[in-house]
Amino acid sequence: MSKTLVNAAEGTKVRVIDIIAGQGLKNRLMQMGLTPGEVLEVIENSKGPVIVSVKGVTIALGRGMASKILVDDAQGVQQS
Amino acid sequence: MDGHIGSRNSLKESEESKEYDLTVAIVGNPNVGKSTLFNVLTGKSVHVANWPGVTVESKEGVKEWKGIRIRFVDLPGIYGLSSLTLEEVISREYIVSGDSELVIGLVDATSPERSLYLPIQLLELTPNVIIVFTKVDEMNRLGIHIHFDKLEAMLGVPVIPTSALHKKGIRELLDTIINISNEKKRIKLVNIDYGGLESFISDISKIVAESKTLKNYPLRWASIRLLEGDKRLEDLLTSNNELDILNKVQSVRDAVRRSIGRDPAELIINARFRYVSNITKEVVVRVDKVSSYEHIVDKIFRKPYIGAGLSLVLMLVSLLLVFSVNTGFPLNLIMRYIGLQEVGELIEFYSLNSVISEAFNMLSNQIKSSIYWYNPLLASLISDGIVIGLGSVISFLPLIFMTFLILAALEDSGLAPRIAISFHNLLNKFGYSGNAVYPLILGMGCNVPAVMSSRTSVDDSERTQMIFSAPFIPCQARLIVASALIAAFFRNPLLQALALLTMYLSGIFMYLLTGKLVRRAVCRISDKPELILELPLIHFPKVKVLWWIAWDYTKHFLKKAGLIIFTLSVLVWVLVNLSPSGMTADVNEGFAATIGNAISYILIPFDIVGEDSWKIAFALIQGFIAKESVLQTLAVLGESANVDDAVRSLNLTIPQAYSLILLITLYIPCLATVAVVYQESRNLKLTVVQTIYMTLLAYLISILVYQLIKFLMWVI
Repeated sequence: MSKTLVNAAEGTKVRVIDIIAGQGLKNRLMQMGLTPGEVLEVIENSKGPVIVSVKGVTIALGRGMASKILVDDAQGVQQS
Repeated sequence: MDGHIGSRNSLKESEESKEYDLTVAIVGNPNVGKSTLFNVLTGKSVHVANWPGVTVESKEGVKEWKGIRIRFVDLPGIYGLSSLTLEEVISREYIVSGDSELVIGLVDATSPERSLYLPIQLLELTPNVIIVFTKVDEMNRLGIHIHFDKLEAMLGVPVIPTSALHKKGIRELLDTIINISNEKKRIKLVNIDYGGLESFISDISKIVAESKTLKNYPLRWASIRLLEGDKRLEDLLTSNNELDILNKVQSVRDAVRRSIGRDPAELIINARFRYVSNITKEVVVRVDKVSSYEHIVDKIFRKPYIGAGLSLVLMLVSLLLVFSVNTGFPLNLIMRYIGLQEVGELIEFYSLNSVISEAFNMLSNQIKSSIYWYNPLLASLISDGIVIGLGSVISFLPLIFMTFLILAALEDSGLAPRIAISFHNLLNKFGYSGNAVYPLILGMGCNVPAVMSSRTSVDDSERTQMIFSAPFIPCQARLIVASALIAAFFRNPLLQALALLTMYLSGIFMYLLTGKLVRRAVCRISDKPELILELPLIHFPKVKVLWWIAWDYTKHFLKKAGLIIFTLSVLVWVLVNLSPSGMTADVNEGFAATIGNAISYILIPFDIVGEDSWKIAFALIQGFIAKESVLQTLAVLGESANVDDAVRSLNLTIPQAYSLILLITLYIPCLATVAVVYQESRNLKLTVVQTIYMTLLAYLISILVYQLIKFLMWVI
């Protein structure tokens, strides 16, 4: 089921499907490791920025930005 | 963008650069530990400049090792070698320019899966790479194990694990740098398999091979970049009349989208990360082992409200500590309040600021008395102009340095980004990102570090917003002036507290509002700045690193702003001591007094007229050098030894005193701030506009408030 990162529940793992943003922002996020297919762990998602763990790095994303990242549930998927 | 960014001559102005045998560039992600390594490698001989035409800083230093002088060039922190940001373009152009014989690509040993991505891109561009792993000590603690030998064999370039803080691996690195120039290990570039894109890459290669403009770049590299959609290379083609080549490239890109259905950039970045992960799978082993206290601290700071509250308390406490050490304020008042009058005075007397100003006063008097017989005018220029001018800067250095220490501690411990996150939602409403919390907090110590912390901004507009608005934050010098006025004219403790609180709130409010105004009206951006922040592990800050960062900032400020401040102090001395009939020893006759007199009518809206009005006007002019000189000037003009008596002798009403506090709080803080605004923005127009904007706004607001209070009191 597809949703944006803003709607991803805290403590779950999600897989990036696509980033709906301008080329600049999209490439920047991808260079930081948020590439389509990558599995993220949602560490914090309540009021402030969404905090995820990707490739061994913890990254905070503003909610506006998080709403541009399409994800689906990745339970049972091995993190690469 | 200029064609010469990152070009060979870009750092020519450096004196050290003429004396070296070998140049090594350092490239790495932000947070990778690049500046720590650079500091350890180069020691003191660092030359700081800006890349030509832009505000991005460049650093270089020379290290002599076994008779060979190695020049290190610190490139900006970047994530990739696309041309998304100015920093990326600068780094890339510099590497292509061939100015450096070697490039060090840094990898964070605590997150190799992500940070090896950048060195792999380097290897697509140049074979002369040394891969250096940083934070190896932390890596061990986290239970990560890396087979460095195996990696070295896989990539065919030297791989060196280091821990700059413990000076581990530094000798090995220096030895490798020297040896590699004798026998280069790698000749060919890394060839990543881009799978389904390979046929398109070879199509583009054929097109690019005909381009004269792109001759300096490796053919395959330029082709891959163009397939990704590289703004910089496209601009080069356009400006050199090779539009036909660009059009052919575009049609290949369209073909990719048609046949594969995805953006080529996405496929390319994915392929690179796949290449990286194939390597890390072979050489990285993770055993979970993280100490628990860090996890707990981390978790607490991540909680929206608790995190923000805790950060705020932490920062205010450190600020209060800095304040007390620096001027004794407000600890001296608290001591006085609880009856320990003498302890309070002792704290004030032995505070850094007081000791330094006292030393400079003594020096000034000494010089004056020893050369007065020779030439009274020269004696006055040196003692009253130069020594006192220098003294006013130097007596504030401890405050500036200590405020930088706070910034350094926040950065090094990893708390800084967490604090930014907790304030992001609030500051976002005013067109800032969470990073705008740094100028806000540091500004209460001193506006100079606040303006310099604009470097943390997420985009160019936010940088301008921060530089332009940070000087509104009431600093410690303004707090001292305001407290003197409050103590003299407000009897009721509740009113005193209210006056102080509203003073801070008005400064903070103007900071927020002006930020929004600059974003909307000047930079014309309607979206809010978005936050992308990496959160490094939390750890106790290391004293050595704090010293480096804080001293680095302070030195930078001294070098760049020192001359401006010095020149303006001498200019003010001339104004004070020069009268229409030549030099004068009596300040009442000088040009400054004339100006003070001439503009004393600006105080008419405050109903401040008569004999004292010019004194206040004159003090306001003096306050432009440094805010605390408002009090000194009043003391001198009031011919009283005690500042409190001098202020009281002005006989201001409460509304007058309060509006004066607002005026002093909001108008341009001091010369040092003006100098640092120019230094950071490199924009004279912006600096002048800002000074006028602040002064005019301060004047209008304080008049409005005065008239309002007067009206209210009349009604009641």
